[in-house]
Amino acid sequence: MADMNALELDSVRRAYGGVVAVDNVSIDVKRGEFVTLLGPSGSGKTSTLRLIGGFERPDAGAIRINGIRIDHLPAYQRDTTTIFQSGALFPHKTVAENVAYGLRMRGVAKADIAPRVKQALEVVRLSGYEQRYPAQLSGGQKQRVALARAMVVRPAILLFDEPLSALDLSLRLQLRAEIKRLHEEIGFSAIYVTHDQGEAMAMSSRIAVMRGGRIEQIDRPEKVFGEPANEFVYTFIGESCCLKARIVAGGAADSDGEPIDLRLSNPPGDGAWRLYIRPSRMHLGRADMPNGLKARLDFTEFLGDVHRYHFKAAKLELFVDHPGAVAHRPGDLVDIGWQTADMIAYQ
Amino acid sequence: MSIGTSEMSAPDAARRKAGLRARLAPWLLMAPALLIAVAFFGLPIAFMARMSFNEHIDQRFYVPGFTFDNYAAMLTDQTFRGALFTTMRLALISSVVTVVIGYAFAMLVWLKPKRWRLAFIALALCPLLISEISIIFGWWMFFPKNGLLSYALVSSGLITDKISLMYTEFAAFVGLTYVTLPFCFFILLSIFDGIDKKVLEASADLGSAPLRTFYEVLLPLTKGGIAAAFAQSFIWAVGTYATPSALGPDTLWTIGYLIQEQMLGKHNWPRAAAFSIVLTIGVALVMVIVRALTSKRTALNG
Repeated sequence: MADMNALELDSVRRAYGGVVAVDNVSIDVKRGEFVTLLGPSGSGKTSTLRLIGGFERPDAGAIRINGIRIDHLPAYQRDTTTIFQSGALFPHKTVAENVAYGLRMRGVAKADIAPRVKQALEVVRLSGYEQRYPAQLSGGQKQRVALARAMVVRPAILLFDEPLSALDLSLRLQLRAEIKRLHEEIGFSAIYVTHDQGEAMAMSSRIAVMRGGRIEQIDRPEKVFGEPANEFVYTFIGESCCLKARIVAGGAADSDGEPIDLRLSNPPGDGAWRLYIRPSRMHLGRADMPNGLKARLDFTEFLGDVHRYHFKAAKLELFVDHPGAVAHRPGDLVDIGWQTADMIAYQ
Repeated sequence: MSIGTSEMSAPDAARRKAGLRARLAPWLLMAPALLIAVAFFGLPIAFMARMSFNEHIDQRFYVPGFTFDNYAAMLTDQTFRGALFTTMRLALISSVVTVVIGYAFAMLVWLKPKRWRLAFIALALCPLLISEISIIFGWWMFFPKNGLLSYALVSSGLITDKISLMYTEFAAFVGLTYVTLPFCFFILLSIFDGIDKKVLEASADLGSAPLRTFYEVLLPLTKGGIAAAFAQSFIWAVGTYATPSALGPDTLWTIGYLIQEQMLGKHNWPRAAAFSIVLTIGVALVMVIVRALTSKRTALNG
């Protein structure tokens, strides 16, 4: 069937001792889809990946690849391959031998191995490195070999276990773009584990945001960013400022009870609230916007594209990103304004 | 004028001095270790080599002279040739057994969770805390007819009559293996510790069953360690004399035993020295061969 899912996780659960690492996780990955598991450390994303790869067995639930249940099979009988964070290349084998390994283990005819290895190394732009040993490669080259080694066997699904997190920033961005390019050219199905939201946003067809072994939201990157399912997803994806405010009819105070000059066009109701606004959606010196706060400028950071202005209002701290410098000096009382749609309130 | 020349040559002199210092530095840094090696290992061996060419007459340990008799005697001496063969066989078999057991044990410690590690290492250290002689006394309580082994086998019903394994080649093998095992274990463990465990997962991930992974990945990566552990064990087993002669049969004549006999029994120091030199050269040859077999690979793995 053409519309069959490459991978299905059906209520999968895994506990270590008393700790539930993966709690009732269900994900479907369509053919050619690139799904990212995003979450802080300990959120269960790597455990989920290891269950799919066969390095751990689930306590409950089913894992299906191309519709066939595989959660009872050991790793070496599953049609998955992993790109490990450390690369995990075989140090005693050359680049070509590393890439050929999976083909040999799968009993591919000898005559077919060499051309496929050659082609895989071309795809990751490492032609001419066949006879090198891993110790003679840079970190980025090693990860490309790892990528070629995993892709060359054309598995039903590729598993990425934070493959870029050990690399420095410029290399990370470069390889990220290359993986994205390969995905668009070849159209492999993939599960990608990362704690880097930028990576997740840039590469994914869909993002599954995880916390405490559960999936909090799974959706397209724009949806996860623009319409977060809950407070955790909102704060985990993208930067945000949190105003912890106590709102009573006609006035507002910070959580310690000191009054603050907060103006809301559509107040959420009385009580203690956490109001979130992205720092790029707040505007300086705009008393004319529907919502506003008067705060004192504390200090300024230069971040390249923007200046980041840190403010204090009573005990509240917040920061606003503004392109270019403004005339305000530390200690000045400044009007900060934002649109109602750019604010989200949680109680 | 004189000021001018001194200005011209000062940088040259400084450069020459720095060059000299750079060339001397490694030697100066090595000097203390080199001094100890020469004083405590080089000199005694040189002295022994000289001794092996001395002559021997009754009632005297040696007479200064220069003769090849002591070496020539080895070629014709049936006892020596027999002892050479016995020593090699004993050392070879016990080393192979030691490496196999040590390998399995080290792999287990490497694969097991960290919390087991300390207990295993303490266990492996135990034999090193006891002297070889004390260990031999231990085996004397273990192997004889009324010893622990016999008692355990009879009371478990595996055998009906008491047995003695004392003064058998088997006892000698067990004794040798026991002494060399800790060294093997630690050498191999350090090799295993240098391997990223993820390569095992990577191998399985790419479709390799556990045994295939062992053969394709683990064995090649530990080859150097196996060779080093084997060499260590072999050298010890070839050279040691107390354990095989205390546990083995009376007919188990090793070279170590012959040296002892020449030295202390027959007071023939030149002959004992000649035996020792041949033994030392033999051990050195084994080392060279083992290194030659493994150095290429280890150099690449860094």
